[in-house]
Amino acid sequence: MNNQMKPSNLSKPSDCLCHIEPGELSPLPAPYEDFNQVTIPPLNPEKVKHLETSLDDTIAIGIPKPANKEEEEALVLRFLSGLKKLFEKENNWTFLQPLMLSMEHCAKCQTCSNACPVYEMSGRKDIYRPMFRAEVLRRIYKKYLKPGGKITAKLTGDIDLNWTTIARLAELSYRCTLCRRCATVCPIGVDNGLITHEIRKLFSQEMGIAPKELHDKGTVQHLRVGSSTGMNPLAAKDSVEFIQEEMEEITGYKVEIPWDVEGADILLIHNAGEMLAWPENVGAFATIFQAAGLSWTLSSEAVGYDAVNYGLWYDDVQFSRVAVRHADIARRLKVKKIVMGECGHAHKALTVIADRLLTGDLNLPRESAMVTLEEIVRSGKLQFDPLRNDFPVTLHDPCNMVRSMGIVEPQRRILRKIAPGFREMTPHGVENYCCGGGSGFAIMSGYNFAQWRNLVGSRKKFLQILNAFEGEPREAPKYVCAPCSNCKGAIRDIINYYHAEERSRLYYGGLVELIVNAMVDMKKPMIRFGDEPSWRS
Amino acid sequence: MGFYLLSYLCIFVFILATAYRIYRQITLPIHVRWELYPVQHETAARAAYGGSYLEEVNWWEKTHKRSLFNELRYMLPEILFIRGLWKENRSLWRISFPFHFGLYLMIATSGLLVVHALVILGSDYPAAPGGTIKSLLDGLIVVTGWTGLVLGNIGSLGLLSKRWTEPELRNYSSFSDYFNILFIFLFFVSALAAAVFTDPLLVGAKAYAFGLLTGGLPLNGYAPGQSIAGGVAIVSASLLAAYIPLTHMSHMFMKYFLYHKVKWDDAQNRRGGRIEAAIMENLELKPTWRANHVDADGRKSWRDIASSAPKEK
Repeated sequence: MNNQMKPSNLSKPSDCLCHIEPGELSPLPAPYEDFNQVTIPPLNPEKVKHLETSLDDTIAIGIPKPANKEEEEALVLRFLSGLKKLFEKENNWTFLQPLMLSMEHCAKCQTCSNACPVYEMSGRKDIYRPMFRAEVLRRIYKKYLKPGGKITAKLTGDIDLNWTTIARLAELSYRCTLCRRCATVCPIGVDNGLITHEIRKLFSQEMGIAPKELHDKGTVQHLRVGSSTGMNPLAAKDSVEFIQEEMEEITGYKVEIPWDVEGADILLIHNAGEMLAWPENVGAFATIFQAAGLSWTLSSEAVGYDAVNYGLWYDDVQFSRVAVRHADIARRLKVKKIVMGECGHAHKALTVIADRLLTGDLNLPRESAMVTLEEIVRSGKLQFDPLRNDFPVTLHDPCNMVRSMGIVEPQRRILRKIAPGFREMTPHGVENYCCGGGSGFAIMSGYNFAQWRNLVGSRKKFLQILNAFEGEPREAPKYVCAPCSNCKGAIRDIINYYHAEERSRLYYGGLVELIVNAMVDMKKPMIRFGDEPSWRS
Repeated sequence: MGFYLLSYLCIFVFILATAYRIYRQITLPIHVRWELYPVQHETAARAAYGGSYLEEVNWWEKTHKRSLFNELRYMLPEILFIRGLWKENRSLWRISFPFHFGLYLMIATSGLLVVHALVILGSDYPAAPGGTIKSLLDGLIVVTGWTGLVLGNIGSLGLLSKRWTEPELRNYSSFSDYFNILFIFLFFVSALAAAVFTDPLLVGAKAYAFGLLTGGLPLNGYAPGQSIAGGVAIVSASLLAAYIPLTHMSHMFMKYFLYHKVKWDDAQNRRGGRIEAAIMENLELKPTWRANHVDADGRKSWRDIASSAPKEK
């Protein structure tokens, strides 16, 4: 298969535009060499026979094939109508200026490609270059929406617009984790990640095309039921009640989790996925806040107990609805500030992006839990025994929290105080690599997408983690601290997929678990490595 | 006079196109924050690792300290030496730097030529002025001019060759990408040829700048276009000035907006402030997105839609 591809190839029909052969992915070191010949398992032809599958080895959306030519043409026209709206202030005031600037000033120098972990790990497949999909959109825009575009396209870069182009472009917008590492290195300041974001929006807001995990089961369910997990308020309260009991069992420390306390200083909002997948994280927060004597509460109102905002990744309208609900709940509870739990995208959504959406009394103060926790740890209100965390620890930087918000040091200052075995990944901080679960990938696992994510999207992170613990004995348990639910999900999946617990004794968790694990008031350890406690009580 | 008329026309187009580009940017609606760290107007300590004011407890109660010095300390090497490319794409920097620095030196030379013409006008023209300033300007013009021309030729030839020979650049390049570099190369090579073969002290350039400022008055009997190379240099430089703001090469000055209005735009929305007022205007805009869940009909505003539930399921 031809490894070199031009943007115009996207519109040329074929069964599979880009296939990864065994051995083409970036190699993994010992003891993972057996994965070097592994590639993405083929899609089940029966399951996908009515879906568009011609981009690469996987599908993220599962777009139904149009029934006939007329339907195809109608979809092409609808795409063009959506593209036009991206450049209208009535429809896209939210990102109009950043989009126009990035559309007009790319010098096609490919500096962005070398920064992209998906492109690098895929064996440098052209379609995964950050500027590939951006260039496709630029060409379509210039040719079909600019005056005289069909003539000037011969000079400025041509592309055919047909259903194949559109279906592939939609899928291709879900091969980028929106980590924006590419934008960081662009010498001009062009953001090809933003263009990917805008492509997703066009498909969702104009054509109703989005992965079901983000839309139907994501924002729609979040707004309708109360949480993207499907938990209604009653189920959320049940979960938390269970967590309270479990926490006492685990640590020997009794914790009370407050609900709907009007006038509390802090409304803490967790990613509700924590309540189901990592309940100890919710319990650890409660333990720390209680022990520090904070005035705080959770909200049991629908949407208010789930910090996620999947709209951030694909749809400004859904984003706005969720953000407004979050702010309104905090306003009615009369809290002094909202503290975002360990969820990177929720941090960015409510703190930074929604900052230019919320007005008047909806514009309540929002703070990162990293900052609140650092204040507690430094205050002296809690006593720590760092030796309880005397195992190798590395820190994963969630892109949304670090590169997009500049919250870099508080979590490090905590780790330096409570985890003597802390070491950095290379690179780290604002230059970090995405976990591979960004922009919704961590929760998308339809068809064979999870395998694509584990093999391609998360591969760089896996290499970074292995590298951070290089030199440590295989049998020593190692802790990857990921203060973000989606990142934890992606890291959990790579640990499972590569059997890294068995082969390298890799474990993962959040930051609060490490804090509680080091608190001298805890009678039993919070962190366990399989059956083995991290310290002896 | 034809040369001067062309130059005037091109300068007019340059001003018009640049003004239009800038006007378009400053009249766009305020957008949501999309900053990327490090943000260089943060304090030096924070900018060093990419931190932000959001790292502070109760950050909204504090004055956000900004450092213009820190921003300039970053921007000057970035603009002059293309530091980002040096760090991230060294092989491209080796040719991109001479290309861009060559262009900067040409701009600097143009500025010096104008100053030189003003000095003459300020003396007893047509008597040739003398003195230290004149000598200094003469020397500077030769140094910046020659250095710029040599670097520009090396850079544009290098860029052309790299774009043509490396598949990862060639596969994404269109006719206009080559044309743009060739156009700039045409200026550099013709101006260098004029300097080498007929005018090593750039006397013609000084006289042309004087003519531009005086509506075509000759300086020391100069008439533009005495050599073919000189004529091509004048025509290509004039056309380039008009052409650059019409293309993506306007990043030379549009980079300001890419950095300051997007990448580093971390300005907080404070209640009752200018940003809040702009957002409130935006929230009254009426979208027409057609997906069912949006439920836009061209009459509902963003505010109405954001405070409603999705219309499906």
